[in-house]
Amino acid sequence: MGEIKLEKINDYKFRIPKESCPGMRVDGIVYASGKLLPDIKRDKALNQVTNVAYLPGIVNCSLAMPDIHWGYGFPIGGVAATDPENGGVISPGGVGYDINCGVRLLKTNLEIGDIKDKISKIADALYNHVPSGVGSTGEVKVSHAEEKKLLIDGAKWAVSRGLGVKEDLESCEENGAILDADPDSVSERAYERGKAQSGTLGSGNHFLEVQVIEEVFDQKIAEELGIAKGQIAIMIHSGSRGFGYQVCDDSLREMVNCFSKYAISIPDRQLACAPIESPEAKRYIGAMRAAANYAWANRQVLMHLARESFEKVFSKSWQSLGMDLIYDVAHNIAKFEKHFVNGREKMLCVHRKGATRAFGPGNPQLPQKYKTIGQPVIIPGDMGRASYLLIGTKKAEEESFASTCHGAGRVASRHEALKRIDFDQLMNELKTKGIEVRAMSKKTIVEEAPSVYKNIDDVIEVVHEAGLSYKVCKMRPLCVVKG
Amino acid sequence: MKNCKILSHTADIRVDVNAKTIEKLFINAASCLFELLTDAKDKPKTVRQVQLEAQSLEDLLVFWLNELISVFYSFQFLPIKYKVKIEDSEGVKVLTAEIKGAGFNPYNNKHMKQEIKAATYHELKIEKNKKGFAAEIIFDA
Repeated sequence: MGEIKLEKINDYKFRIPKESCPGMRVDGIVYASGKLLPDIKRDKALNQVTNVAYLPGIVNCSLAMPDIHWGYGFPIGGVAATDPENGGVISPGGVGYDINCGVRLLKTNLEIGDIKDKISKIADALYNHVPSGVGSTGEVKVSHAEEKKLLIDGAKWAVSRGLGVKEDLESCEENGAILDADPDSVSERAYERGKAQSGTLGSGNHFLEVQVIEEVFDQKIAEELGIAKGQIAIMIHSGSRGFGYQVCDDSLREMVNCFSKYAISIPDRQLACAPIESPEAKRYIGAMRAAANYAWANRQVLMHLARESFEKVFSKSWQSLGMDLIYDVAHNIAKFEKHFVNGREKMLCVHRKGATRAFGPGNPQLPQKYKTIGQPVIIPGDMGRASYLLIGTKKAEEESFASTCHGAGRVASRHEALKRIDFDQLMNELKTKGIEVRAMSKKTIVEEAPSVYKNIDDVIEVVHEAGLSYKVCKMRPLCVVKG
Repeated sequence: MKNCKILSHTADIRVDVNAKTIEKLFINAASCLFELLTDAKDKPKTVRQVQLEAQSLEDLLVFWLNELISVFYSFQFLPIKYKVKIEDSEGVKVLTAEIKGAGFNPYNNKHMKQEIKAATYHELKIEKNKKGFAAEIIFDA
C-alpha cells in the first residue's frame, strides 16, 4: 500500500476518499492540523484508517482523532460505527486489549497553597497505598461468585462494599456499569488472569496524578463543575487489566475464523469481526461489557485508595477535602448508541479505540447535573506538560458519533525512548518544573517521557477548533504515580 | 536477544524473529517474548502440554504466543524449554508442544521487565527465506 493522500476539507479536517483503496466502503476523515500532520504521516496510522473503512456495515466514515497513532487493527484514536441492520459487524480490534481503559477526574477544595509543601508526602502516600507497576496485585480480593457480581455491577459493586458513595456512580459514563454484561460469556482463563488485579493501577501509560488547574477557558462551565484556577484535582488512568486482555484474546481467537465463515474481507486480521447478530458477536459483546464493568470497579477502587491517601496526609475526611468525582470516561469501548445516518436516526455500534465519548448539552443519556452543559471530557496529556478538561458538543454528535480525542498520542516508541532519553536528566527536568514522580521502575518513567508524546496543546486545539469538544480548563501535573 | 531483533513501533513492541525451521521459529518467538517480559532465570521443574489448531501458520503463531502469555499470568508458570511439533492436518495447522518451566509469580516481582498484553495479528506474516523462516510480530505492551 502506497502513501495515503489526504484532501483538505478545512484547517482541522482532512478526507481520505474511499476511492483511495479498492474495498473501502466509506471515506476516512482525519481531524488534524498542519502542525500535527507530519507526525501522523510518519507511521502507518493512516493505512489503519483505510483498513477500518473495509468493515462490513460501516456508516458515514472511518474517523481519526488528532492524537491518532499507529496501533494494531484500528489506529489508536480511531472511531467507527456500524449498522446492525445493514450487516454491521463488531470488531474486538476496534476496542483493543485494554477494554474500558479510561480516565476519571476528582476535584478537591484544596488550592495550590494548601499542598505546595506536602507534594512529596502526597506522592509517597499515593505510591505506597495504591498498588501499581508491572503485574501489580491488589488489596481487593474477590471470590469467583463475588467477581460475577462485580462484572455486572461495575463501580456499584465497589460502592456497595464501602469503597465510595452512590453520588460517584452518577458521575460515571453508564453510571459505572454498562447493562447486559454477561459473566457466562467470560472464559475461566479470564477469571483466572484477572483475579489478582482488581484495584491495581497497572503499568505502561497508566497513572495517578495530582494536578493544579492552571488555566480556565470557560468560566461558566467551570463554575457549574465547581472548579476554579489554582484548585487541586486528581486524575486516574487505568483499565481492565489482565481480565480485559484475556477477554479480547479469547474473542479474537474465535473471530479470526469468522473471515471465512461470514465471507468477510479486510486487509488486517487484527480487525477480525463478526456480524452483530451472530453468536460470536453476542459472546464478545457480553464478555466485553463484563470487562468494561471490571474496569469501572477498578477505577472506583483506585479512587477510594486515592481518597484514603489524602485523608492520611491531611488528617481530614475525603468529604471535608471536597474530593468529589467530576466524571469518569471510557476511551476503549464499543457501545450501542443512536446517531444519524443520511438524516435518519439509527442504533449503531460505535467503536472507540483511543477516543472519548463527547455528548453535547441536552443529551438524554447524561446525568441530570450535566444535562444543560454537556458531558465532561477528560483528556490526559503527558507527565511533564498538561492535561485538559473539555465539554462535549452537539457538533460531535452530528459529525463524529459524539467522539473526540483521548490523549496526546505517542510520536516515539518505547524502544526509541530507552535509547535516547537519559533517566537522571529527565528526572531533573521534571523536578525543575516542580513535578514529583514515583514509579516502580526507571524504565517506565523513561518510556513515558513527555518528549515521546505529541504536545497536548496541539491536539486540543484541533478538537476545540473542529467543535468536537470545547476547552474548559487546563491542568498542570504536580505529582505523578506511574505503574 | 538471540534470533530476535526489536524494530520500531510507535505505541507497541515490534520484533523480527528468525529460525531455520518453522518449529524453531515458534520456539524463538516464545523465547523472545519471555526475554521481553522478565530477566528471571530458573531450571525447569514442571511440564505443561499445549495443543492448538488454526487455519494458518500466522494465526497459529499468535494463538501460541497468547497461550503462553495467558498461562504465564493465569497460572504463574514461566516457560523455559520447549518441544514443538507443527503438522498440517487436512488444511488445518496443528501445534503440539511440551513446555518445561517453573513456577514464577509475575506480580510485584523485581524480575518483571514490563507487561505484555498480547501478541497481535497486525501485519504478521511468516516468510520463508534462504536461511529458513522469519516473522515480524507486534506485541501490545
